[in-house]
Amino acid sequence: MSYNSRYHHTDVQLQEEHLIIEAAKADPNHFAPLYDKYYKQIFGYLYQRMDDKDTAFDLTSQVFLKALTNIGKYEFKGVPFASWLYRIAHSELMQLFREQKNKRCINADIGDLRFICEETQEFYLEDYIPLLKKVISELDPEDCQMVELRFFERRAFKEIGEIMYITENNAKVRMYRILEKLKKAITSPKKN
Amino acid sequence: MQPKFNIDRPKVSDDEINKHKDFDNLVKQFKEQSITKARSDKSWWKNNYIKYAAVIAGVTVICTVTYTALFNKSTKQIASNDKTTTLKDQENKNTAKNTKFINEPFEKIKVNNTSYKVDNSKGADIKHSTGSKIKIPKSSFVNKAGEEIKGEVEILYREIHDQAEIIASGIPMRYDSAGTEFTFESAGMFEITGSQNGEPVFIKHDKPLTVEFSSTQTEDHFNQYVLDTVARNWTYIKRDNPVVSPQQQPPNPAEAKQELKKLAQKYEPAIAAIPKRIDSVKVVYTKKIEKLEIPLQPNKPNKSSGRPQFELDVDYKEFPELSAFKNAVFEIGSESTNYKAEMKDITWSSAEIEEGPTKGKNYILVLKLKQRVEKLVVYPVLTGNDFADASKKYEEKFEKYKTLQVKRVADEAKLKAEMEAKQAVYVVQQQKIQEEYIRQKIRLQKQEELSVTTQIKAGGVVPAITRVFRISNFGIFNSDCPHTMPSSAEEIQPIFVSTGAKEEILASAIYLIETNRNMVYTYAAASKMKIDTKIQYSMCILVGSNVYVVRKDEFARAVLKKDNYFNVTRLGSEITDVYELKKAMGLI
Repeated sequence: MSYNSRYHHTDVQLQEEHLIIEAAKADPNHFAPLYDKYYKQIFGYLYQRMDDKDTAFDLTSQVFLKALTNIGKYEFKGVPFASWLYRIAHSELMQLFREQKNKRCINADIGDLRFICEETQEFYLEDYIPLLKKVISELDPEDCQMVELRFFERRAFKEIGEIMYITENNAKVRMYRILEKLKKAITSPKKN
Repeated sequence: MQPKFNIDRPKVSDDEINKHKDFDNLVKQFKEQSITKARSDKSWWKNNYIKYAAVIAGVTVICTVTYTALFNKSTKQIASNDKTTTLKDQENKNTAKNTKFINEPFEKIKVNNTSYKVDNSKGADIKHSTGSKIKIPKSSFVNKAGEEIKGEVEILYREIHDQAEIIASGIPMRYDSAGTEFTFESAGMFEITGSQNGEPVFIKHDKPLTVEFSSTQTEDHFNQYVLDTVARNWTYIKRDNPVVSPQQQPPNPAEAKQELKKLAQKYEPAIAAIPKRIDSVKVVYTKKIEKLEIPLQPNKPNKSSGRPQFELDVDYKEFPELSAFKNAVFEIGSESTNYKAEMKDITWSSAEIEEGPTKGKNYILVLKLKQRVEKLVVYPVLTGNDFADASKKYEEKFEKYKTLQVKRVADEAKLKAEMEAKQAVYVVQQQKIQEEYIRQKIRLQKQEELSVTTQIKAGGVVPAITRVFRISNFGIFNSDCPHTMPSSAEEIQPIFVSTGAKEEILASAIYLIETNRNMVYTYAAASKMKIDTKIQYSMCILVGSNVYVVRKDEFARAVLKKDNYFNVTRLGSEITDVYELKKAMGLI
């Protein structure tokens, strides 16, 4: 699912959001617009990484509860509130996967895999699917996260950088390296 | 343990997601959590926290009222946008997945890149043909490992200024901003990429490039955006503050003429020099061929036929071919009808031989006595063992001769082939220079024509507007302004009819062009489209690889008639570049 189009904000939208956050710091009820705005995105982010829908809904509630509990500590840095929520969501996910490793799951559409083939400048072949599944599953967790954010969720590098606490440029370079890995795996399957 | 990998898992519906949303429960949980924590911890600050929670709880009602008054509107808006976006996003993604994001619609008509080579250790200030400048600090480029690039980097750069170029480039002009879809009015776009030996290079984060983009749009209501081809959306960078340079002069047609003159000075001598080079190649090789040794064919010894003979002392240096005829005698040829038997008995004061009518075969024997001179055609002949020895030697020499002759023929053929190859290189070179010369001339003529047209459009003065971009990544950038259709816009579903054939045409892609603003709306086949009746439009339509246009007068007529029938004119195959397309679309 694509959630990224909701991420980009104009200066006016950011300022509006900042006002809501400040209001929510004083009164949790003012958190409602943020909850409405980001609920689906955060659920999508969590469910994208697991198989169990109920756990994803539970975890989504957990993320927003944590956000509301800690909103007093939130500092506005000129980026959408979503990036903070994603970091909480990521931390909750990691906690869950540490406790229950079998919960981790990768979800992609055929179109996403086709898209990876396009980006690696390889023709899309049905034969590549098992290979791609294998290679993506074997990537280290951060690289796998990059692939998910970029190709399965179609997020901008700027947003990926903000979610993963790296610079936009660093995100691009890392993605380039991952793509090279994937390309190598597709073009020389016997070695993998 | 490797994670499970699902492909095309069913999506969770918006309804199902919304069912799980429970903000009241969240606030309740938050309050319970706060109170539980406060009760379980009796420390000073925790007690305060309880107080805080209690205060929060207490003021909830008041705040709810305030919140409703202040934020309900925006919440509703966001929520309503959320719903619209969700469905749209899904639809868009489904469509997008199956289509190329940057889709150049034409086979031949392209917005071409210009290639620049930049030495990374020196950097560069590049001036593009449109007047734009690309400022590259030294050591700006790094490879994928973050190491500084050594040597030259190839920069590919192209600009997109008007509606025809927007269409030809295939760059999407739709912009999704927080769920609302806009179409861009463009003050110009550019694409810049860098590579070394086919490998992409990256811009060092602390060494951004500066692109001083020369824009033809004078307004200042534009923002800067960069295209994210994976997220399939434009990303806002900042408000664009154009720089007006009054000191810059409008394009001067005299400059184009001057450049034409420079072109002639550059290309014409080069073209004229080539035939001379071809001739000199011929001269050199003719001499080389002449210098090849011509093997001397040995003479076949002749056996005496019994005709009258003369014995002579021959200087073999003068007649080397006779060296094979050792002990030869000279037999009178039957053609010497002036021979008389008495000649053999006369003691001649002089007897000399000269080359005969058949060189190497026969000779002229010149006999002199006082005033009497007799000339006889003679043949060197051998008798007995001398003939046998000579025949044997002849055979040997003839074999050598044949070998030398074959080699000579081969050497000559080789030299001729070399000559022809060198001449061919020059011919190709000449053709290339001529073609380039013609291309450059056409480019200049078009440039001149375009600058005149632009000046006419701008009332004789073309202001110099520079839009400054600082870029830390390669990609596609624009200075654009997002617009939505006004609520008063009318919906139409055009039916296209070819002007000549009166047949309905099924368009595969439709480009709606605002003729007075730099805007292009892209529609798929058989789409309904919205138009603002106060605005002038034209259309460009694709049917397979054929291009049709609906000119603005025809568009206005069809809208006025309200019958949705638009007469289209097919563009011919002579339209092979953007300039021709602009002309055909009536943009210049």
